[in-house]
Amino acid sequence: MEKIKKTKRHVYWNPYFGGFLLGLLIIVTFYLSGRGLGASGALKSGVVTIVDTVAPNHAETNGYYSQFLKDNESPMNNWLVFEALGVILGAFLSGALTGRIKWRVQHSPKITSKKRLVFALIGGILFGFGAQIARGCTSGAALSGMAVLATGGFITMLAIFGTGYLAAYFFRKNWI
Amino acid sequence: MSKKYKLKKFLVRRYQILATILLILSAGLVLLPKYKKNEGINPDVFVKNAMNTERYISTDILVDRMINQDPSILLIDTRSEKEYEDFTLPGAINVPLKNLLEDDFNNYINQGAYDVVLFSNDNLYADQAWMLGNRLGYKNLYVLEGGLNQWFKTIVNPAEPEETMPKEAFDLYAFRKAAGMYFGIGIVENELADNKKENTKPAPAKKVIPVQKKKKGAPEGGC
Amino acid sequence: MGPLIPNGLIPTEWNFIIALIIGFFFGFILEASGFSSSRKLMGVFYGYDFAVLKVFFTAAAVSVIGLYYMDYLNWLDISKLYVHPTYLWAAIIGGVIMGIGFLAGGFCPGTSLTAVAIGKIDGIVYTIGLMLGIFIFSEFFPIIEPFFLKSYLGHITLADSFGISPYWIIFIFTIIAVVAFYFADIIRNRVKKVFY
Repeated sequence: MEKIKKTKRHVYWNPYFGGFLLGLLIIVTFYLSGRGLGASGALKSGVVTIVDTVAPNHAETNGYYSQFLKDNESPMNNWLVFEALGVILGAFLSGALTGRIKWRVQHSPKITSKKRLVFALIGGILFGFGAQIARGCTSGAALSGMAVLATGGFITMLAIFGTGYLAAYFFRKNWI
Repeated sequence: MSKKYKLKKFLVRRYQILATILLILSAGLVLLPKYKKNEGINPDVFVKNAMNTERYISTDILVDRMINQDPSILLIDTRSEKEYEDFTLPGAINVPLKNLLEDDFNNYINQGAYDVVLFSNDNLYADQAWMLGNRLGYKNLYVLEGGLNQWFKTIVNPAEPEETMPKEAFDLYAFRKAAGMYFGIGIVENELADNKKENTKPAPAKKVIPVQKKKKGAPEGGC
Repeated sequence: MGPLIPNGLIPTEWNFIIALIIGFFFGFILEASGFSSSRKLMGVFYGYDFAVLKVFFTAAAVSVIGLYYMDYLNWLDISKLYVHPTYLWAAIIGGVIMGIGFLAGGFCPGTSLTAVAIGKIDGIVYTIGLMLGIFIFSEFFPIIEPFFLKSYLGHITLADSFGISPYWIIFIFTIIAVVAFYFADIIRNRVKKVFY
């Protein structure tokens, strides 16, 4: 008698295959528009737009926002914003094709959902802050930076993953 | 051998092959001979273009376009600044030959909006300028045939046709005379004595050409 | 001769449509490789799933080899590509803060967007956190500004920093990547399996 075990494992692609396709995509991106991918830039444009809508004077006087505000042109009119939009659509399609769309909070069995959400918020704040200092996140600086052998990209990537390994010890309860 | 073991062996073998392919590709980059890339168009194409005489535009055609206020013409004087100050064609911009490739003047030559007509005293500088521009692949470059010398011969002092010449020659002469008058030359031979000053040169209207700077800087990028 | 848009071979208006399409494929590949799951991402730090390492290094190796081949064959002009500028201290400190944030939140901005797309609430919270972080940064910008702009080394590449030909760097990088893959599999077989 065979036990038919229904595994609840998600079926993902082979990571090498995914990496190969991603590499090809980066080549195409550079070939077409001369720049690499990115993600945090789109969110930065979003923040600038929101602040500009809510408090325009403050946005103009602040040294950081004013760099991105041009007259008559919304800061959302940016390559990265469209790319981020595409990312959401693409991920949605992929999730839909494999039946992974569901409202849920994914966390380790050892902690509660609430704790996971709190940590997600803290992590987001830290990452957003750091991404502005380093002018890039893993996709923009690290991945696209490595594709053209940019020194800044390599430094940032080593810093992120190096610190990650050091900090992993403190956060292990969250994940394993 | 169990099926699972065979599958595992196969996977490992597949990864080994893929890894080797990657290593060979990157090794290939190191080992391939590096040659100097030429900037600009192919030498064969360049020679073909150089032998082609289509780039010459005759003074008559140029004058015709100027009288008709053709906005797509851009005259560029390739002589030195002093000669430009002395006399030049109306509406011409001065880009001395030695400064031709500088960034400031690059926008005048490297664009697709205007037909650029290069001229100099004879053909020498203008042709050189044309060669430089064409080598780098710029389009819409023309050379005024015979340069300013030809201009003087045909427009300022058109040769009077003899009685025996065909009608076209007379038409051409009349056209050239009219063109000359448009530029304020030789208004009336009678008034030579009084208005000598007016005849020396047509007022060079310094046309301010709105040249759109083609965004050819470093590509934008970001996080 | 690429890159196409900076060279004017494609009109600039297409840039945003191209961005959309490229983003679409980016999101698709990321999600299908499983990066919308924070536990899969964290596997690289704890040794139970090295997907991040594999995807990252494979993508970087393939793209850098491909780009330099295209440059060699004259299909692409490498000098026209955007190279990320190097601000030495900003890169290091920013990276450290990002590392902590990465471990705490379990996402990076690109993968958090994929998580938002498939309905993960922690992904949405993370994205809100990102925006808050950016906001806080901008508020404190006057204080941070001098540090932000310090030690600007320009848009330099590794070839300029080390002074050796880029092709050797690519070769060494590929060797490192393959060795890393090998060790990743060994470590993975020895670590306690985690079901996520």
